[in-house]
Amino acid sequence: MPLKRLFAATSLLFLAVLAISPAKSALQSYRSVQRHYRRVGMVRAKSLKAVRDYEQRPVAIQQIWLRDFDNRVDRCTTCHLGVADPLMRNMAEPLRLHVQTAHTPGAFDQFGCTSCHGGQGPATSTEEAHGTAKDSGPPMAPAAYLEAGCGRCHSSESVPEAPILSRGRAVMARSGCYACHAVRGQENFRSEAPPLTSLAMKTGGMWLRRWLHGPRAVDPNATMPNFDLSGKEIEELSHYLFNQSVPWDLAKRIQSADGEPTGDAANGKKLFAESRCISCHTVEGKGNGSAPELSKVASSATRGWLLAFLRDPQVFYPSTKMPRYRFSETESRDVVAYLEDELRDFEAPKEMLVPLRVNQTLAENGEKLFRRMGCFACHLEPSGSEEKFGPELNGIGDKKPSSLDFGRRTDLARTLPAWLAAKVDSPRSFARGLRMPSYELNAEDKRAVVTALLSLGTQPVPEAYRFAPPRAAALVPGGPVGALIGRYRCLSCHRIGEEGGDISTAPLTFEGSKVQRDWLIDYLVLPYSLRPILEERMPVLRVSREEATQLADAFESFYLDPRIPEDPFAGRPGSDADVAEGQRLYGTLGCRGCHILGSSGGYYGPPLTDSGKRLKRGWMYAWLKGPQSWRADVRCPNYGLTDTDALRLTAYLSTLLSAPGSTVAGGAR
Amino acid sequence: MRRRRWSRGIGVLLLFGMIACSRGTAVSKPAAAPPPYGSYELRLGKALFRHYCQTCHGETGAGDGFNAYNLDPRPKDLSDPAFQKHKSDADLADAVRRGGAGVGLSPLMPPWEHTLSARQIDEVILYLRALRRQPAAPERSADGSAGRPLPPVER
Repeated sequence: MPLKRLFAATSLLFLAVLAISPAKSALQSYRSVQRHYRRVGMVRAKSLKAVRDYEQRPVAIQQIWLRDFDNRVDRCTTCHLGVADPLMRNMAEPLRLHVQTAHTPGAFDQFGCTSCHGGQGPATSTEEAHGTAKDSGPPMAPAAYLEAGCGRCHSSESVPEAPILSRGRAVMARSGCYACHAVRGQENFRSEAPPLTSLAMKTGGMWLRRWLHGPRAVDPNATMPNFDLSGKEIEELSHYLFNQSVPWDLAKRIQSADGEPTGDAANGKKLFAESRCISCHTVEGKGNGSAPELSKVASSATRGWLLAFLRDPQVFYPSTKMPRYRFSETESRDVVAYLEDELRDFEAPKEMLVPLRVNQTLAENGEKLFRRMGCFACHLEPSGSEEKFGPELNGIGDKKPSSLDFGRRTDLARTLPAWLAAKVDSPRSFARGLRMPSYELNAEDKRAVVTALLSLGTQPVPEAYRFAPPRAAALVPGGPVGALIGRYRCLSCHRIGEEGGDISTAPLTFEGSKVQRDWLIDYLVLPYSLRPILEERMPVLRVSREEATQLADAFESFYLDPRIPEDPFAGRPGSDADVAEGQRLYGTLGCRGCHILGSSGGYYGPPLTDSGKRLKRGWMYAWLKGPQSWRADVRCPNYGLTDTDALRLTAYLSTLLSAPGSTVAGGAR
Repeated sequence: MRRRRWSRGIGVLLLFGMIACSRGTAVSKPAAAPPPYGSYELRLGKALFRHYCQTCHGETGAGDGFNAYNLDPRPKDLSDPAFQKHKSDADLADAVRRGGAGVGLSPLMPPWEHTLSARQIDEVILYLRALRRQPAAPERSADGSAGRPLPPVER
């Protein structure tokens, strides 16, 4: 009898053990999700057949086979069943319809889920798939840094529809991260930090100490980070920097400029305004801000240096973005007189600009410090072959938390994003003796930088998926015209092809097909505000008429676009009736909402008062047919005009010839 | 024989018991309330609004952009709760697509159908909804709730 009981108990136990596996499978959470999906689908389905389709859906694991990504499989759709199902709009996760992007829902089969979101594709439990379980592989990108996924394939700085990633990459370039850290594609990066060769004659010991103590406190536009230097370190570095001998040529320029008489500050003020310095600089925060703040400039640099620099900035800093204005000797003296009179720190002590008496021992220590802190990475020309000062950043987006040194930061979550965020925020908080300086970024920029860092993966994306827009090099002719484009630094503000700055809204790539030669010559000699609302306007560079003619002629032959017809009317210019019809169209389309014509109109687009004198007919027509083909982000809407209507408007706009009476010279503000 | 059937019965019972017990603990049970908007779409909508609409309609949609003062009639106050309540998403999308002239209003509002894609227009509308101002004195409905809550938005 006891044997029989024992037998019964054992077989019960045995059965229970056998039941574990099917029970586990039956209890998989995805099964209840799939049943829920079926119910919702049946309720929302529009036809009887669709209801039946939902009803007959088997409960099973779903997967996407990614042939191009190492034959990986993504089983995310086992729970996320509604990603491509329009009926699942507004559902809660995991059933929600996927956001429409350039790749979804069209290319789910190709991209799957993990190629953008990360995480563990083959897993079938939520924790393992999302990577929150212990021992699962790299986790998904957190929602806050979602756009990091875009950056795995898209390597350009600006990525469409990924504003945070683009911003992060721009901040990294501007902060000079690539000067110390190697990142693929940034091999030729060159920091915009100035060479320090003329520093000893530019400023004084007191100013330098203040600067080293906190560059942002001296100049809010400064890109130099805070190295959190001790008093002793500041002293040593200052002595080292003042021990640098200024090259003979520069020293002579500064000295002779210093000996010149003081100019006329009132005239200087006028010239300063005309020169539109705030198109790059700021004065009390007003202006573009990509160049230093000028409201205290005369207390940061000596008179001689300012004058010599203004006359030829490019000999001081060969890679500077600052143009060489064609000021006369007197005019440049007047501008500096104005700076000295008004743009100075009225509370600065007298000794601000007194040079430092160099102590050799301190200077020698300073030199060692200059190497140890990595100052050279930004301030000296890189020699090319040498290794970068900081660790490589390629692959940082795939680092395992266990391989990261959290050091003293026991307060952090043990995840890569948390570690990166803390590194970007306060890099020296991890351990003593770390050298990375603090960049004092705002919260939005910090998040953007972490996104950009997370996009730097180790896993190579298949060749066919890597996307970098083609970079057409700027076509800049050599010879005298190239020298003029260099002298006036057109590329600091304007784009030519894929190169150049983004301060101006007018690329020069097809300028020759766009504006009329005679207008361009006049404009280069004396530019006026085409867009009065913009702070960044074309400066009066004091280009001579010969130079302007040379430039305009070069534009006529180099900067053309074959898509812009020479004569859109093909020999049959518009009749008076066409002009009248064009004028009517101008009214009914609402062009006056943005453009000034005569005495009325909006302030957004350029005034059209003199468009017949300014613009070529072919350009007007090509622009009206589709403004976005000439500048992708332009706000002028595409009205979808027919050829006839576009020609009528062109005919009307060509008749507008009156001089821009109300618009003022570029300088007035 | 009888005993065996009995024990099998117990085994099956046990299995059902296990299923029944753990059903309640099944993870990721779909939540009832759908999330109002995907934040990614909203972000794109915000970027589009800032780029194309803000000039006239203003940062908060109140119709006070810097170009608004040159326009007659003045741009619509898009944040007005009454306006938002009155217009369906389809109405708004239609006005964006065909412009003021297309829907019998001022031609100073241009048509965007050839400039923005249908998806982009949807994103803009999503952001427009987020710009809805809270009524000055929130009207309490019968159950005491203060109307539809605004979706979270980084302005």
